Amino acid sequence: MASLTLGAVLRRAALAGLFAGVAAALIAFLVVEPRIDDALAIEAARSTSDEEPLFGRTTQVFGGMVAAAAVAVCLALVVGVVFARVRHRLPATTDFGRAALLAFLGFTTVALLPALKYPANPPGVGDPDTVTERTVQYLTLIAAAAAVTWLAFLVHDRLSARPWPPAYRAAVGVAVAAVGYTALLMTWPASPDSVPADIPAALLWDFRLASLAELATLWTVFGLGFGLLLTPRPVPAAAVA
Amino acid sequence: MAAPSAPTASATPIRVPVAAWLIVAFALLAVFVLLQLNSTAFAEQIHEFTHDGRHALGVPCH
Repeated sequence: MASLTLGAVLRRAALAGLFAGVAAALIAFLVVEPRIDDALAIEAARSTSDEEPLFGRTTQVFGGMVAAAAVAVCLALVVGVVFARVRHRLPATTDFGRAALLAFLGFTTVALLPALKYPANPPGVGDPDTVTERTVQYLTLIAAAAAVTWLAFLVHDRLSARPWPPAYRAAVGVAVAAVGYTALLMTWPASPDSVPADIPAALLWDFRLASLAELATLWTVFGLGFGLLLTPRPVPAAAVA
Repeated sequence: MAAPSAPTASATPIRVPVAAWLIVAFALLAVFVLLQLNSTAFAEQIHEFTHDGRHALGVPCH
């Protein structure tokens, strides 16, 4: 690829996002849904209302998979624009390396860090009265984590003016990110909710791992797919001669 | 700035017009509508449809 344009980057990002979304939806169906069913059984056992749900379970399972795919494509477009903007400053020698690095940073910033502070919960755990407060906590943490990632990137970038080995710059960049993330995890307020007594700890643990597996699948497939799609195809020897 | 060492395969900058950030804003808005809206009547439909997805992706919910 002689020179990459924004459009070419975004097409590849969107396609990789679609692959990532399908993979995440598959994990949602195979790994997360069984745990949601367990949680819904507990919720049903404690319920006294006969309120008819808006959608049946089949629709909701399908809706969850559609949501995963749609979110993956949207996130892919965001990463695509960011990639185009910072590509020439990312510390890797190939577009595959740059895409993989950016996807890793994306996973850490918007998935892993919020999952550590506010772990995913199955239905029947969250208090409806605190959902707005929890949403604000969650979104502000992601915004602050993005700021820390950006700061670490800037520090790493500025250090390129010094005649340091790349490993030194990388170490400083990682240290800035690690200290910043730790400070965020320590200062952000704890979730106001406590887990109801009828939710087994094992279910909570399994659900949280399953949720993280879906997020990790999404970002891994996206990063690898985006990188592979950006990798120029080898020109056959016959075409060169 | 001249690189002190032999240049690696450093990439040329890609031109990113300001309009490209509209795509970013639109994509983030779409994610917000899909996963975060909580209280309006229209949101109720989306909320219930993507409900499993919200939980699975670790978004706060009830």
